[in-house]
Order: sequence, then C-alpha cells, then structure tokens
Amino acid sequence: MSRTVSRPAIIGALLKKEFKAYSRDTVYLLLTLLVLIAVPIVFRALPDSVDETITLAVSPPVSVLVEEGKDALRDLGATEEQLAELDEADLTGEQEGLLLLEFEDEEEMTGVIEGTVEAWQTEGGEFVFRDKEADEDKPDDAERVNVDIGIAFPAGFISDVATGEDDITVTVYSDAGVPEEIKGAMRSFVREAAYQLAGKELPVDLPAEESIVLGQDRSGDQVTLQEKTRPLLLFMILLMETFSMASLVSTEVLQRTVTAVLVTPAKVGDFLAAKTIFGTALSLSQALIMLALIGGMTAENWSLLLVVLLMGAIMFTGVAMFVGSAGKDFMGQLFYALLFTIPLLIPTFSIMFPGSVAPWVRIIPTYPIIDVLVQSTVYGATWSDSWGSLAYAAVWLVVLYGAGLIALKRKVESL
Amino acid sequence: MTEVTTGSGAAIQVEGLRYSYGDLEAVKGIDFEVQPGQILGFLGPNGAGKSTTIKMLTGQLTPKAGVARVLGIDVATDNPELQARIGVCFEEKNLYINMSARENLEFFASLYGIKDADAEGVLRRVGLADRAKDRVKTFSKGMRQRMMISRAFINKPDVLFLDEPTDGLDPVTSAAIRRTIREEAERGAAVLLTTHDMFEADELSDRVAFINEGEIVALDSAENLKLKYGTRSVKVRLRDGDGVREEILPLDGDGSSSRLAELAASPDLMTIHTEEATLEQIFIQLTGRGLEG
Ligand SMILES: Nc1ncnc2c1ncn2[C@@H]1O[C@H](COP(=O)(O)OP(=O)(O)O)[C@@H](O)[C@H]1O
Ligand SMILES: [Mg+2]
Repeated sequence: MSRTVSRPAIIGALLKKEFKAYSRDTVYLLLTLLVLIAVPIVFRALPDSVDETITLAVSPPVSVLVEEGKDALRDLGATEEQLAELDEADLTGEQEGLLLLEFEDEEEMTGVIEGTVEAWQTEGGEFVFRDKEADEDKPDDAERVNVDIGIAFPAGFISDVATGEDDITVTVYSDAGVPEEIKGAMRSFVREAAYQLAGKELPVDLPAEESIVLGQDRSGDQVTLQEKTRPLLLFMILLMETFSMASLVSTEVLQRTVTAVLVTPAKVGDFLAAKTIFGTALSLSQALIMLALIGGMTAENWSLLLVVLLMGAIMFTGVAMFVGSAGKDFMGQLFYALLFTIPLLIPTFSIMFPGSVAPWVRIIPTYPIIDVLVQSTVYGATWSDSWGSLAYAAVWLVVLYGAGLIALKRKVESL
Repeated sequence: MTEVTTGSGAAIQVEGLRYSYGDLEAVKGIDFEVQPGQILGFLGPNGAGKSTTIKMLTGQLTPKAGVARVLGIDVATDNPELQARIGVCFEEKNLYINMSARENLEFFASLYGIKDADAEGVLRRVGLADRAKDRVKTFSKGMRQRMMISRAFINKPDVLFLDEPTDGLDPVTSAAIRRTIREEAERGAAVLLTTHDMFEADELSDRVAFINEGEIVALDSAENLKLKYGTRSVKVRLRDGDGVREEILPLDGDGSSSRLAELAASPDLMTIHTEEATLEQIFIQLTGRGLEG
C-alpha cells in the first residue's frame, strides 16, 4: 500500500500541532496576554507631549529690536503692511513649551542665567526679579522661573541685518548645567527667531547663516515618552516571543518528539519550515497587535514598519531555534536564551538615550531593526531613508537565521 | 499499490550492517531477514546494539557499511514512500504530552496523509479508549507505553520496529501489549522487536536473534535454540528429615537414568519435574554473560 503526502499538507499538519502546543503552554500564553493587555494601558498613561517648559531670555526686548529696525527696512523698500506684520511676529508661537523672558539690560539677563538674580512669574504672568545678595523678599503667589539660556542681540540688529552688515554677533548665554540637547534646541530657536524678525517676506539678505546659527538644525531631541517607548515595546514583543518559541523548539528536542516525526514521511526540511513559519507568524502577529493597540502606524510608514517587523520576527525565530537546540536541559536553555538575548537588547538603550550611541552598539544585529523602528515611528522616516539600515539588517538576518537553522538541523539529526 | 519486495519476499533484509559511534563499534556486521507476518525477537543485554540497529533500519542513522532493505527499499535512501509504510515504537516515550491521546494519534495520522484516522479504534485496542480526550501528561508509564504502541500502528504499517515495548511494565500491561503485537503480525506485518526479557522473546517471537556486543551469536526459533544448545534435565524433590532436598539430573547424561529410577523408588520422593533450558541459560552458555545489566 502506498500513500503520498504533499509537502504543504505535512507542513500544514506540523503547523496545526505547533499551534496546539503553543496554546497549551499556559505560562507563555498568560504572559503574552498579560503583556498585550497591561502594556497598552501603561503606554496610554505615559505623557504624549514634552511638558518641560524652556525659558528663553532675550535682550533687548523684541519690540525694541523691531522698532529700531523699522526705519532701515523702510529705506530698503519694505511696505507698511510688511512692517505691521513684523510687529505681530510671534517668536514663541511655533515653539511649544517655550517661555520668553525679555530684558532691557544684557547684564541683568546674564545675572538671571548665572543664578545671582532669581526670576519669578506671578499668577498674572508678570515677571518679578529678586536679587539674592540684596536679601529681597520672595514675591507672593509667584512661581520660580528657571532661565537656562539667554540671547543678546546687538543694538541695531535688524538694520544691520537689513543693510547687509557682515560683522553681526549674536551672543548666546547658557548656564553650564544646561544639557547639550537643550542648547541645540536653543540654537535652532535663535535661527528661527532671526527668520521671523528679518524674514523672507522682507527685501533683505540675511547675513551668512553661520553667523547667527550656532548649531545644527532641529535636532529632534524633543521626543515624547510615548514616542520613545513605542519602538521599544514593539521590539520587546519580538523578544518575548523568542522565549516562547525557544521553549517550543527545546521541548520538542528534549522530549525527542521530533524523532517520532522524522520516521514518518515528514522530512527535516518540513520540520524546520513549520518552526520558521510558526515562529515568525507568532512574533509578527503579536507585534502587529501591539502596534494596533499603542498606535504609531501611519499611511506613510505602514509598509516599512511591516517589513522591518517581519525581518525582526525572522531574525528572532533564528535566535529561538539556535537557543532551543543549544541547551541540554531547561536551565541550560535559559542560560543560552539570556546569553543571546541580552546583547541583542543593548541597542534599545539608544532609544532612551539618543545621541549617545557608542559605535560598537551599531554593530549589534538588532541595531538596524531598532533604528528603522525609531526613525519610522518618531521621525517619519520612509523607505528611501531606510535602505541602508534594511540592507544591514538583511545581512544579519541571513546570518542569525542561518545559524539557527543549521544548529537545529544538526541537533535534530543527531538525536 | 506498489509492492516492492525482494526475490526472497523478505520484509526486512539485512546484510553485513555496521555502525560505529566514533571509535565505538556498536553494530559489527549483522545479517538477518524477517518475512511478512513474522516476529523476530532481538534478545540481548543493554548496550548490545539493538537500538542502534533499529535506528539504522528506520532512517535515524545511516549505516557505515552493509545494506539494509525494508520492503525492498534501501534504508540509506531517505524515502518517504518507505516511511509511509513503517511503524516505530521508540525506547523513549516521545509523545506530545500537552496533547490528548486522540490528538497525538490524529497528528501522526495526518503526517501520513490519513484524514479519517480511526484513533478511537486504535486506542480501544490498547485499552485507552476511555482516556482518549485526556492529555498524555496525565498518563501513567504503562499508559504512555500503550500510547507508543498505538501510535506505531496508526498507519497500518507493513513493517513494525518495536524497541523494548514492554520494558519496565507490570505483567498485565505487558501481556496486553504483547497481544496487540501478535495481532499486528497476524494482520501480515513483519515485526522486529528488541528486548532483554527472555520470556518475552520466547513467548512472542517466531525466531530469536541473540545479540551481544554488536554481533548476532545465534538466530533460530526458540524451540530450535533450546534443542540445539540447551540441556534438558529433571528436578527431583525429596523429603530430608524436616526439610526438602533437591537433585538435578541432566537427561542426556550418562548414568542419569539409573539414578532417576533409584530416586523414583525412594519413599522420600515428593515431586519430579522436567526442566527445560531457558533462553538466558543458552545466552550465557554462548556469550559468557547474562541478559541483565
Ligand atoms: N549516541 C551515542 N553515542 C555514542 N555511543 C552510543 C550512542 N548510542 C549508543 N551508543 C553505544 O553503542 C552501543 C550500543 O548501544 P544501543 O544500540 O543503544 O544498545 P541497546 O539498545 O542494545 O541497549 C552501546 O555501547 C552504547 O553505549
Ligand atoms: Mg536500546
């Protein structure tokens, strides 16, 4: 009697069995459910805006600068309409969480930044200054305002800009304790303020950009905690499923059920294919559920996100197969699981502390995956921005999945 | 229906089969045949090479030398058509313990492309029908062993490889398992069974192969082996004061018959039994070692 079974039928039967085994591994199932329920709740509770207000001091007051510059601009042929617009220039309008504090006197401003003079804001929005040395009383019903950065414009700044003066110096004062990110944000503010004041609408040439802009463009440091956490959670889901997948592989190896499968018409290739498909589908579907619950997918990034999550899922399936075939018992398995997954976790720190990524971290296989997740969910990166990372991730994918495949194949054949 | 058989019609045909794990020669060139409907018992102590032989015949290990054909197909060629027609019961109880008895059988049936597997019927044969829906996790050792046997039958195989199917089981479970094995042979399956239990080999096998240190030292029916190598004897029990005295007389020895006549006439005579050599005694005689350990 001869029966022939097609490969897809065998793989289908193996997948059905994988699903049963997974759905009965109550520990991992509960863990997954818990994560899928609890994490989105915690996620929603995270701040979705950057609520730290940065106080920026300027001297002289903007109105003084504008008034001084009007004549020069009028000489250059600016219409009264344009000049009226200049009056309404809103320096803080574009910048959320920015408080503008104007000083008549540059010296008073530096005093506030150094901390020798305290600035207080009353409920009415008025600013009160208190000299610490002079032992003045603390004003009532006022909140202390911490001034981090101050910008001193030279007298006649706008007319100088308008007449194309070369040697214009804008001085930016900052407290030594101000973190580099905020300094960067301030520099970009200075640049935008300059555009506002002597903007494109006006018939003037801006002085060379460098003379005003002291740093790089929008450095993107103002990322909300939700935005930071989102790629991290997606990555964690992939990692979590690595553990349950490794356990599915290892029980099959340790209990030698795979041997029973392989004396039937099923071949090693069918077994490996079923494990790959199941592991990848498991991680990917859960990452997508998580994504649906915590948001972050847009009309622009969905295809990129899908592909990078798929790549991550296959990569981790490879890791799971490697780990699952490595240990001789449960403890051994756990040891190998930690040994392999901890280094793969390191690049996630780059999400929490951007700008501080050590060069060696970029070598870690998961770095390009995380990088694309962050770039696409936070900074709106698209396919064209991500080819480099994707290609790099693809190389690691081949290496890690290949290693997992070979390790499991050899293990199974040696049973 | 592709009936691939050799000229001799043997279901299993082995010639000069060898296997070594590194430097350790586990199987040192063995030859044997099993006809359809026949049970061959591989009798030997632990480490004799029984499992290694089964692993080669079922495609788990590739022979280092020699040829083995099962249903006329060389076992060294990874052939799904052959695998569809064999059933294997492993030494380890490798069942999916988180699946029910029924699910285990249905899963394996699906690997053979059998859609309407009679899992219930197979479980009934091994006395597990009432536990069909329970997870194997909850089964005792004997129940798991019966599951192993039923799984080996699920595809109605033409050849069965059973590696120590009753090892460590209670007599009742062992008897039940033996009965189903005999039924499979009656259905026409060729059975290769390994054991280190001489009673099992004796009771179940049409022929017995003595295997020791990777070599077959004797192969024949249990009857013939006993006739050929065993010495029959008579055990006479006599009253001796308050106790009992035993005397064993070889039946073929010189002077045994006159001594037997003498004892038979004694007023102290209690019983006379003829004693047949056991397979183990013959095994010891041939190899210098016993079956245990
Ligand atoms: N995987 C293995 N690696 C190394 N040696 C092995 C392995 N399996 C079995 N052996 C050795 O091969 C010999 C035969 O073993 P085996 O075929 O399992 O014997 P049996 O089944 O008759 O008890 C023994 O000496 C055993 O220790
Ligand atoms: Mg054995």
